[in-house]
Amino acid sequence: MHLPSWNVLIQVTIIGLLTGGVYALMASGLTLIFGVMRVINVAHGAFLIFSAYISYWMFTTYGLDPFLSIIVSVPVLFTLGVLFQRYVLSRVKGDPGLGVLLTFAMALTLEGVMGSLWESTGRSIRTSYTSKVIPVVLSPDLTLRLPWVRVGGLVAAAIALAAIYLLLQKTNLGRAIRATIQNRSAAQLMGVNVESVQALTFGLGLATVAGGGALFSLIWTFNSGSHEEWISKMLSIIVLGGMSSLPGTFIAALIMGVTESVSAVVMTSYLSPIVFYLILFLVLIFRPQGLFGTRIREG
Amino acid sequence: MMKSKVWHLLISIMVLSLLITACGGAAATEAPAAPAEPAQPAAAPTDEPAAPAPTEAAPAAPITIGASLPLTGRFSEPGTAAKQGYETWAAIVNENGGLLGRPVELYIVDNASDQDTAVADYEKLITVDKVDLVVGPFSSFLVIPTSEVAARYGYAFVEPAGGAPDVFNRGLTNIFFAQPAPGSQQAIPFTDFLLALPDDQKPKTFAVVSQDDPFTLGVMDGVKEALTAGGMELVFDEIYAPETTDFSSIAIQVADLDPDLIVGGTQLEDSIGQIRAYQEAGYQPRIAFFTTGPSLPVPFKEGLGSATEGVFAAISWFPQAEEYQNADMVAKYLEMFGGNESDIPEDVANAFTVGQVLQQAVENIGSVDNAALIEELHKGPFQTVVGPLSFNELGQPQGSFMLLQWQGDSFAIVGPGDRKRSDPIVPKPEW
Repeated sequence: MHLPSWNVLIQVTIIGLLTGGVYALMASGLTLIFGVMRVINVAHGAFLIFSAYISYWMFTTYGLDPFLSIIVSVPVLFTLGVLFQRYVLSRVKGDPGLGVLLTFAMALTLEGVMGSLWESTGRSIRTSYTSKVIPVVLSPDLTLRLPWVRVGGLVAAAIALAAIYLLLQKTNLGRAIRATIQNRSAAQLMGVNVESVQALTFGLGLATVAGGGALFSLIWTFNSGSHEEWISKMLSIIVLGGMSSLPGTFIAALIMGVTESVSAVVMTSYLSPIVFYLILFLVLIFRPQGLFGTRIREG
Repeated sequence: MMKSKVWHLLISIMVLSLLITACGGAAATEAPAAPAEPAQPAAAPTDEPAAPAPTEAAPAAPITIGASLPLTGRFSEPGTAAKQGYETWAAIVNENGGLLGRPVELYIVDNASDQDTAVADYEKLITVDKVDLVVGPFSSFLVIPTSEVAARYGYAFVEPAGGAPDVFNRGLTNIFFAQPAPGSQQAIPFTDFLLALPDDQKPKTFAVVSQDDPFTLGVMDGVKEALTAGGMELVFDEIYAPETTDFSSIAIQVADLDPDLIVGGTQLEDSIGQIRAYQEAGYQPRIAFFTTGPSLPVPFKEGLGSATEGVFAAISWFPQAEEYQNADMVAKYLEMFGGNESDIPEDVANAFTVGQVLQQAVENIGSVDNAALIEELHKGPFQTVVGPLSFNELGQPQGSFMLLQWQGDSFAIVGPGDRKRSDPIVPKPEW
């Protein structure tokens, strides 16, 4: 335990918040998919890395900025999601365990495909604004240095999450999705085409991860095996948030971003993941449904 | 109904996989006989064992050489380079009449950077594929467990990239580390250079930020010892998990302490991650050194652009070196794998060195008998692309690394002594 200065603490807290925003976008699709399908999409991390590769590929081949590469990656991932749910996952709808196994198989397949397409070298994208910062002078001896890519990441994540929120609240598809999350059988009885809703939700979930992947490619280095570490991070976030709650995911992602970066300076970076899990355990002891979750009554 | 279908599927998969393993086993037993057993004659060029007799002058049975390399996973970059190095060496040997008049055949398998897989691979290469010789994988992390397997079967283990202290302190006599010096000594040219700087240029404080890996930690221990003994103060010392990708928290702390010198114990991705995070945190060291990373020119430059300027690292080899067979190796490599001369990774040369050492030792004893080979390897010196190489009784090489510094679009050799091609830049420009 070393005691860092206030300057350091403030800096890392801000960085943690910015990073948490990007985590939120990355994990939001996982929440949606679990909410509607009751299937944990273990391939979510692999889809994240896959879309990061799409951004990398568009950047190195056409010089397209990763923020713009979502024009390509969002439709591609949306289509992949719809097809995967429609023709693969829906075949095992009676058995969520088998569904998880299928998504795991999908993760391994994607890892192999990515490894052969882009080799397993660590990739990174370096744009003109990589490593550039926005200095914010708070006091004579405290200047916050906000990295462009993370500020951009947070703004993009906020826009994307707001769009999803509006979609869920204001459109018929959104109402259908929410109805399916609350009670699938009742929704079906009310005339909701649950099959289509599920396919669209899976597509939507992957579309959000496409956005997350573009931001990811700007901030971190990645290779085809990176997904294993990130899926566990995203799963922890949605468990803390309450599994199918979008606001819960957002708050949990911020908590993870901040605890990671703050505990890395208060303790060591090696121990920092433990702190988040301690919080997770404590919350689960007192609120087994997570921060924003509702207790599920399976009928 | 559904259940029975699943069962049918499962059973057919099991039957299929049994069939496949059975075929694999059968095919493998046709591989050359075990050299460790007396059954295999120590094949002198004239003494041809009973090969199925073709019509013309019977082509000699190949000498098989096995290796398990990290072709995927976190060591994939250097692992793939090592594979290319082995293949380049084998191609040159085979074009020049082979080894002891027999063609060389490589058995290279992928261990996905996983220790257990690597151990199982060598076990299989030796006992099932019955290769004549084995050569090592990339990095101490994989060399340590796999060298035990080779030792158990009495195989010589010349390896390209395992130089951590733990490689040599287990009482094994079959290991030969084919780089100019053990990894833990990698930074010695750098620390010597620092300690020889005039007092007004010498750093007063330094930070060490290292990945938790036996290779990097070994190098870092050497650096800390040499620099603290030289009167410099270690102000920050951090070890992070290998899978760490985000270095902002570390960088903010380092920036707050603002040491004169930063020493990074890195592979590739983390060297890029660290430097980007230091840039973001506004940390401008006067001198910077990273272990692996700067010596892999293409991805390092791709990830960092002009921020590479002035960064130091150590290297055992470079493409223009005028050492034994180096020009041949470079030409052959470019013919086989394309690319530019300056993009050939150091790991290619390290693997090629393994081949050169093995070749000369085998030719000296005139057989592939591993016991005799181990004895011969301890004698040396052998001519290699990294200069003349000999080994002490622990298998540690007796030589020194070169000090490199990034200057412009690539790196220059700035030490030690007579190997220097350019003058070092101190302090380095801002990144």
